[in-house]
Amino acid sequence: MGTVAIIGGGPAGYVAAITAARLGEQVTLIESQQLGGTCLNEGCIPTKALLESAETYAKVKQAAAFGITVASEGVTVNWPGVQQYKNKVMSKLVLGVTYLMKKNKVQVIKGKATFLTDNRLQVKQPDGEQELIADRMIIATGSQPAELPFAPFDGQWVIDSSQAMSLPAIPTSLLIIGGGVIGCEFASIYSRLGTKVTIVEMAEQILPGEDRDIADLLAGQLSAAGVTIYTGTALSRLDNAAKAAVLQTNSGMVELRAEQVLVAIGRKPRVNELGLERIGVQYSARGIEVNGQMQTTVPHIYACGDVIGGIQLAHVAFHEGEVAARNACGQKKTAAYHAVPRCIYTAPEIASVGLTETQARAKHGDVRIGEFPFSANGKALILDEPVGKVKVIVEPKFHEIVGLSVVGPRATELIGQAALMLHAEMTTDALENGMAAHPTLSEALLEAVHNATGQAIHG
Amino acid sequence: MAAEVIMPKLGMSMVEGTVLRWRKQVGEQIAKGEVVVEISSEKIEMEVEASADGKLLAITVAEGEAVPYGTVLGYIGQDGEKIEAAPAAVAEPAKEQAATPPVTSEQATPATSAPAARGSHVKISPVAKKMAEEAGLSLDSLTGTGPQGRITKEDVEKALENRAAVAGEPPASGAGAPSAAGADALFDPGAVESSQVVGMRKVIAARMLDSLRQSAQLTMTAKADVTELLLWQQQLASELQKRQEGKLTLTDFIARAVVLSLKKHKQMNSAYLTDGAEARIETYGHVHLGIAVALEKGLVVPVIRYAERLSLLDLSKALKALSERARSQQLTGEEMKGSTFTISNLGQFGVEYFTPILNPPETGILGVGAVEAVPVYRGEELQRRSLLPLSLTFDHRVLDGAPAAQFLAGVKESLENPYSLLL
Repeated sequence: MGTVAIIGGGPAGYVAAITAARLGEQVTLIESQQLGGTCLNEGCIPTKALLESAETYAKVKQAAAFGITVASEGVTVNWPGVQQYKNKVMSKLVLGVTYLMKKNKVQVIKGKATFLTDNRLQVKQPDGEQELIADRMIIATGSQPAELPFAPFDGQWVIDSSQAMSLPAIPTSLLIIGGGVIGCEFASIYSRLGTKVTIVEMAEQILPGEDRDIADLLAGQLSAAGVTIYTGTALSRLDNAAKAAVLQTNSGMVELRAEQVLVAIGRKPRVNELGLERIGVQYSARGIEVNGQMQTTVPHIYACGDVIGGIQLAHVAFHEGEVAARNACGQKKTAAYHAVPRCIYTAPEIASVGLTETQARAKHGDVRIGEFPFSANGKALILDEPVGKVKVIVEPKFHEIVGLSVVGPRATELIGQAALMLHAEMTTDALENGMAAHPTLSEALLEAVHNATGQAIHG
Repeated sequence: MAAEVIMPKLGMSMVEGTVLRWRKQVGEQIAKGEVVVEISSEKIEMEVEASADGKLLAITVAEGEAVPYGTVLGYIGQDGEKIEAAPAAVAEPAKEQAATPPVTSEQATPATSAPAARGSHVKISPVAKKMAEEAGLSLDSLTGTGPQGRITKEDVEKALENRAAVAGEPPASGAGAPSAAGADALFDPGAVESSQVVGMRKVIAARMLDSLRQSAQLTMTAKADVTELLLWQQQLASELQKRQEGKLTLTDFIARAVVLSLKKHKQMNSAYLTDGAEARIETYGHVHLGIAVALEKGLVVPVIRYAERLSLLDLSKALKALSERARSQQLTGEEMKGSTFTISNLGQFGVEYFTPILNPPETGILGVGAVEAVPVYRGEELQRRSLLPLSLTFDHRVLDGAPAAQFLAGVKESLENPYSLLL
């Protein structure tokens, strides 16, 4: 038995702690704030709670379509109530992580850690300092919102994503800089709560990483919900006094006023103030350098999660945390990234796994595409959410399913089936006699797969 | 040949051991005597040392997996050996274990300790399977690195790369299992007649391959001195002619001798049956004797039921009737099922000894060759004797060499003392 110190109690850190503890190590976890990291406290969980409120509000307003009459003046958003609900979910989950630490006998220290040497940490606490010695270390300090050099966060008008989920009131207008996942999710939340939302994206489409047809479907729905989208547009300056932004579009300058500006241009790894340069751990602005076993350039120091850059998703951090801990405990395990689901909680939801069509064409040439629209799916019509489709990408030689995207109702739940298909290295013929229950949204997945081989019945 | 790292047997009662931790990784240099892997039985943990210098070429059993003792866990050798040694050796331990008779008497069950052949129960992803089939890679030659040793796409890609590196061909050219023609410009086969494998040929092909893959068969041979028997056969012939009965053939006598020996050595009148991971040996009270009959289209094995109840004469009649029905293709499916032991006679073609293949799930098959007249010393005197070559193939999973030899000796003894065939 040895000692392992873990810096950071987010998804990568707490999973690493549990894994190492179960492998018989004596584990100490250092966290400067609440356990659970960005995911539980200012990311995945609170945004999805807000989204659920926005969704419920939209659904109630839509009640007439289902034959339910609701007096329109009776439907209002109780913002403090929304915040309360969100906080309740968060604190339950934080308690859950706290319980897991106790159950696995992980010692949790509150404070900020800095490396003194490669096996000594200094932990600054509100009421003093302490030193910690460990045989092996795992760095899981996560990431924080990146800011614009010419318009730093001021916490009042220019805000980051964590502030955007705890605003004192619903803003009348919101300018979102960055049309990536975070920007689009906030657009979906606030536009449905009545805010006039504008998205500004430098690339030629929103969601620059995803296929154009998928991004266009979302852009159409956001526009229909009253969101203004500027693509191929740069923010040239912000005027704090006038609360105005000047945009450089393809067709000239545009000036916009907004009550609040959310900068969502990405997240940067927290690599500073750790004293990494002192101990020889290689890193750059893109993150700490690691190999497939999550080992840094100092052999007994590992790093995982957002702090190593790469795919900044909680479930990737879970996986990396486990890999880092196993290797730190003397086992050998390599991180595997080939079936990582990517979820975007917008309205409609978007979820993908594997290659996009563009990537698949570059890698496999003439791929087969199978699509199935939710407008032909019984359950989607019952939900009154017929917008969207399933798109499956099949490699031409062995008919392996190499990518799958879903835009539409419950896409983020449906993608689980696709992640299994990719994880199992499924081929379309292996699914030939597969069955989906009727009526379900899941039918659309199998239909799209069968469509790729020309066997869809309803499409 | 690469050296094997083997799961040792720790104590009498150990059936299987678990790989705890690989101390070396694939590609790492190892000196003889260095610890390669840590293993444990239910009771003890132990370090396994390298039996040779070299690199760790492959790990065939992942950490956390439990395997029977004797299983190959990995290979140590030089870089060049990588391709040749690893796949060939993977299939080998099963063969070796089965063919080597147990040395110590406390050795309980060689059958359960032999690593299970992978065969049709290979864990492999759908796409990996298609890739391997297309490239003509045997699944047994692949090492799975996925969960529980599942073979993944990456594993197949690696195997193809290795093969390409050895053959000097580009990895993408997976041309499938090449037909002999076309692969080699120097190969000039003349007129090629190609016919699709269908029907009876296909069934025989599948059954025979299955038999060889799924049982531990070996053949032992003996000569029976049938000089007296042949004399006796002639005497009987004239007697039978008077009674207007058909002649007794040598096969009739052999069939009777086999039945008598099976009654004495019941272990041979049995079958090894598997049901998933479970296996059992069934030993039968009745003898249902299969007789291999060659037809133009292929081999059939009609069955003489309750052969132990038939006298020599009745056995002979039953045999004649069945062979005739077989030649005129009147056999029903029922008449070719349920045998417990089989006789195959190639004597008419001048064959001496051969290695018959078991008719699964049976435990034994007796091959009969051509009688040959040879000078034999009987005491100090040279005599002309007629010798009959016998080849017994049996399943070593069911019984060992000694009891099988006793059965064969029983057949030989009856044939050499023909009056016993009447009892």
